[in-house]
Amino acid sequence: MSAWHKRKISGVLLDITGVLYDSGPGGGTAIPGSLEAVKKLKSSGLSLRFCSNETTVTRKTLIEKLNSVGFSLSEAELFTPVPAVCKILKERNLRPHLLVTNECLSDFSTVDQNNPNCVVIADAETNFSYHNLNKAFQLLKSLDNPVLFSLGKGKYYKSGNDLVLDVGAYMKALEYSCDLQAEVVGKPEKSFFNTALKDMGLSADECVMIGDDIVGDVGGAQNAGMRGVQVRTGKYRPEDENHSTVKADGVVDNLSQAVDLILAGQSS
Amino acid sequence: MLFFRNLSRMTYRNIKAVLVDLSGTIHIDDNEIPGSINALKKIRQSNLQIKFVTNTTKESKRLLHARLTKIGFDIKQEEIFTSLTAARKLIDEQKLSPLMLIDDRAKEEFLISDTSSDKLNSVLIGLAPDKFNYTQMNKAFRLLQNGAKLIAIHKARYYKTNDGLNLGPGPFVSALEYSSGCKAEVVGKPQTSFFISAIEDIDIDPSECVMIGDDVRDDVVGAMTAGMNGILVKTGKYRKGDEDYLLTGGNVGDSFAVAVDKILQDQSQT
Repeated sequence: MSAWHKRKISGVLLDITGVLYDSGPGGGTAIPGSLEAVKKLKSSGLSLRFCSNETTVTRKTLIEKLNSVGFSLSEAELFTPVPAVCKILKERNLRPHLLVTNECLSDFSTVDQNNPNCVVIADAETNFSYHNLNKAFQLLKSLDNPVLFSLGKGKYYKSGNDLVLDVGAYMKALEYSCDLQAEVVGKPEKSFFNTALKDMGLSADECVMIGDDIVGDVGGAQNAGMRGVQVRTGKYRPEDENHSTVKADGVVDNLSQAVDLILAGQSS
Repeated sequence: MLFFRNLSRMTYRNIKAVLVDLSGTIHIDDNEIPGSINALKKIRQSNLQIKFVTNTTKESKRLLHARLTKIGFDIKQEEIFTSLTAARKLIDEQKLSPLMLIDDRAKEEFLISDTSSDKLNSVLIGLAPDKFNYTQMNKAFRLLQNGAKLIAIHKARYYKTNDGLNLGPGPFVSALEYSSGCKAEVVGKPQTSFFISAIEDIDIDPSECVMIGDDVRDDVVGAMTAGMNGILVKTGKYRKGDEDYLLTGGNVGDSFAVAVDKILQDQSQT
């Protein structure tokens, strides 16, 4: 089979943190070449969507952050787990106890949180204290049918110069202590990628997902039928190229290189 | 009327040592479980050796010993073997410099001079609510990412206090395991190495020991997996149906006192 970028591509999904920009204290910085790469994609006529498990800030803040470093994203192009879980909560009449960042709370303002009958956890950063995790645990233990939603299940990500624990660690903590299995909303779930595909009106086999997380981005995209490409930026570590279960369709130095390959591959 | 259910028609005639769990088996907080002080006296009057084995990570052996003495138990400090003792032993043997996520009251068990951050090569984790914050957990995670060893004093899911159930160290161990991809070395019950280390200084074969405790998995099944005999008591955290987890040969007694009477009765038969 020909290389990943030479087969037909109609749509591109991009992860945000670690691909477009590196998050960190003070708002973060664009990854070199990414601003130009996104512009090229937008003018190429390929469909483009952004798929992120980012939940530490509101969707509005995330877009403002990205646009302040030079990107131009709109809410409609942005797929994050919060709207997806809000939809599920309403469909199933669930009222969440939230373990999220203080800022993220406002994205849940339309959801009934009285007398909670489930727990939603997202990357809560400093709100991941013993006390807060214990409260979530005690609520789950008190329910006859405990339901735990985890917005993503990432192991870690890069913040500033350091790797930090992602929501997956705390999802595991609650799973272990309550003897239950969390329902994951966000990457790497197939249903999450399908929402973005449906929005573009494209089938999975004509789309490529580009991300820095070998499991969440690359493995998840492949499981949904897309090609998964890994960038050597963000949380990337050399051992990702020898991962025990996931092999990327392509590995590139950064988004800029990926986009150049795609545009060259599609024109020839 | 209290009962001993001899599910497996065991005889404890050849037993030479009794291993006893502490919390939930002979005491709860500062109270004796009825009959335990007297039962311990009876063991002392027999030829049986005795060891107290506990997964505590909250207080040092000295503080624990002081608490038991105050309740009225006749126990010597050197008879107590805790998961902290086992962790200390492992750290010494492997010459580790751990980041310690353990309760300050337990720290005196580890009279290790504070290691500067750049020399840390392991993470030791016990029950330490104050330490399980975002900053400390990230510090531990980054050490593990750089190849440090993860040592768990034990992996209990939760524990009970007067205000209900609270998270134990286990969930935080599994969080670090998941994110770092490494597997913790667990030193406390129910590890076989823990039970074997506890009897190292009394030179008795595991088959000549019987473990008495209220936790079917950590005490009874753990000891039996190490080759010992095991008796589950229906005090402390025991819940109806726990006996279903017993292995063949395991027995159930209503209390520590009942279990001791059964053992001593078998001992007296020739």
